[in-house]
Amino acid sequence: MTFAQVLATEFLKLRRSKVTWLTLAALSIGPLAIALMMWIVREPGRAAQLGLLGTKANLSGLTATWPAYFSMLTMMVGIGGMLLLSFIVAYIFGREYTEGTAKNLLALPVGRHWFVLAKLVVAAVWWVVLVVAALAESFALGATLGLPDFSATLAVRAVHDALLAAAIAYLLVPVVAWIAMLGRGYLPPLGFALAMLALGNVFIHTGWATWFPWSIVPLFIGSIGEPSTTIATSSLVVVALTFLAGIAATIAQLRWADNAQ
Amino acid sequence: MALSADTAIATRALTKRYRDVLAVDALDLDVRRGEIYGFLGRNGAGKTTTIRMLLGLIRPTGGDVEVLGRRVLPGTSDVFAHVGYLVETATAYPNLTVGENLDIQRRLTRAPRAAVAEAIELMRLGELAERRAGTLSLGNKQRLSVARALLHRPDVLVLDEPANALDPAGIVEVRELLRTLVSEHGVTVFISSHILTEIAHLVDRIGIMHEGRLIEELDRDQLRAKERLYVEVGVSEPRRAATILAAAGFAHIEHADDKLRVYDAKGRVPELARALVGAGLDITELTQAHEDLEAHFLRLTGGAQ
Repeated sequence: MTFAQVLATEFLKLRRSKVTWLTLAALSIGPLAIALMMWIVREPGRAAQLGLLGTKANLSGLTATWPAYFSMLTMMVGIGGMLLLSFIVAYIFGREYTEGTAKNLLALPVGRHWFVLAKLVVAAVWWVVLVVAALAESFALGATLGLPDFSATLAVRAVHDALLAAAIAYLLVPVVAWIAMLGRGYLPPLGFALAMLALGNVFIHTGWATWFPWSIVPLFIGSIGEPSTTIATSSLVVVALTFLAGIAATIAQLRWADNAQ
Repeated sequence: MALSADTAIATRALTKRYRDVLAVDALDLDVRRGEIYGFLGRNGAGKTTTIRMLLGLIRPTGGDVEVLGRRVLPGTSDVFAHVGYLVETATAYPNLTVGENLDIQRRLTRAPRAAVAEAIELMRLGELAERRAGTLSLGNKQRLSVARALLHRPDVLVLDEPANALDPAGIVEVRELLRTLVSEHGVTVFISSHILTEIAHLVDRIGIMHEGRLIEELDRDQLRAKERLYVEVGVSEPRRAATILAAAGFAHIEHADDKLRVYDAKGRVPELARALVGAGLDITELTQAHEDLEAHFLRLTGGAQ
């Protein structure tokens, strides 16, 4: 009952929020950009006429096919999603400090941990809606372009990969939530997310890639090298532990730290 | 700590230290059920830090807090079903309407649906109920925050500067509302304010904080007794006048702007006037008055700054 009420209030807080539409718009641009690249590769002459293809542009490594399209889509959901999801979580948690409302939540007949859990559920629902919308948009755009080499097996695999990348990205965000609480606002978690993304791409070149949480998505989607077909068990354990540690740290921060806002 | 059933809020040796700064120093406080307790102090005296510890928003470095007989620590939740509060600035979700902001409070305090409408009516927010909080004036945001504090009909109200940003009519409204809550519903009110005369009109007792310590507690009768009688003298050449009065045996003289305040002139006003006129000074004003709470407060906390 308590959790249901807290969850209801967390969803209510999103009413008329421009950020929800902003994130939808941001993720929608991804498939559009990928589709545009596919079209340019297929129609370089017309693209050049329209000024979309510069004389020095190099898209030679790209083919206008469903496999290439899906590969880029997974990359967008994985890497772009890690950033966008961090932005969402920074907003959900950080706004309480930026808008000065955190103090209104802390002396209520509600355990503080419920707020953390409800906010993470809201982030999860928000993220699922965005990813599903982006996938639907991608299929529609790919079909409109009439890309070759489509198969049901390929589509299922692409959806599976995108959802798995999205799920791993989600499991990393409780740490971002903790940073939002620690830093009391939007900027520290966004800075942290960018730094982790950069570090993840550094670690991917080392033998530690499977152990560093923010390298696991880039490794899986093949942002450098070939994409992995599976995720190592050790990586799954690392991600799961990161998820649990992030939740524990966020709850502890809200429960025990001074809130002298 | 062993408290009487009569006590709504109690602290024992409550202390908060921020590195080298002792914000609250071994505070012992008892607020009785059904009273309005005024908590006075200059900026930085430790009022808001104390209030935050009462609400479990910050952890004491030492000592205890009890509210309605239950110990408060960060993370305490059950007792807050009976506590309403407003800490410092009024805040609300800007994208939500007044009604939606209050509905959040209703759900979190498990108050009945009708509580939102009642709080809106109580704080006269009816015309603003559908307005987004982000578009409200500061004063109306403050009314919304007071409505939020009252919504679940708490037994204890903790209000930190509730008159902030309210216009004079709003201040009177809140004052009357608090009186009604206390007289008709037995609510305990713990209120801090920098509007000292406002506190004097409202409270049953006051506590004065200074540099983290509770330096004085007074009930209404004691407050009246503290009000010192003085004679205010408007006179040409105030400095010379002070010297003349001192020579005439008046020992407690203070300068107030370009006037003198003589605190030991009770029954000696004719003598005072004769001494000044006899020295060739012109008296432009001679008024007998009582020192108010503000003056007493400033005296205790080190004078005007």
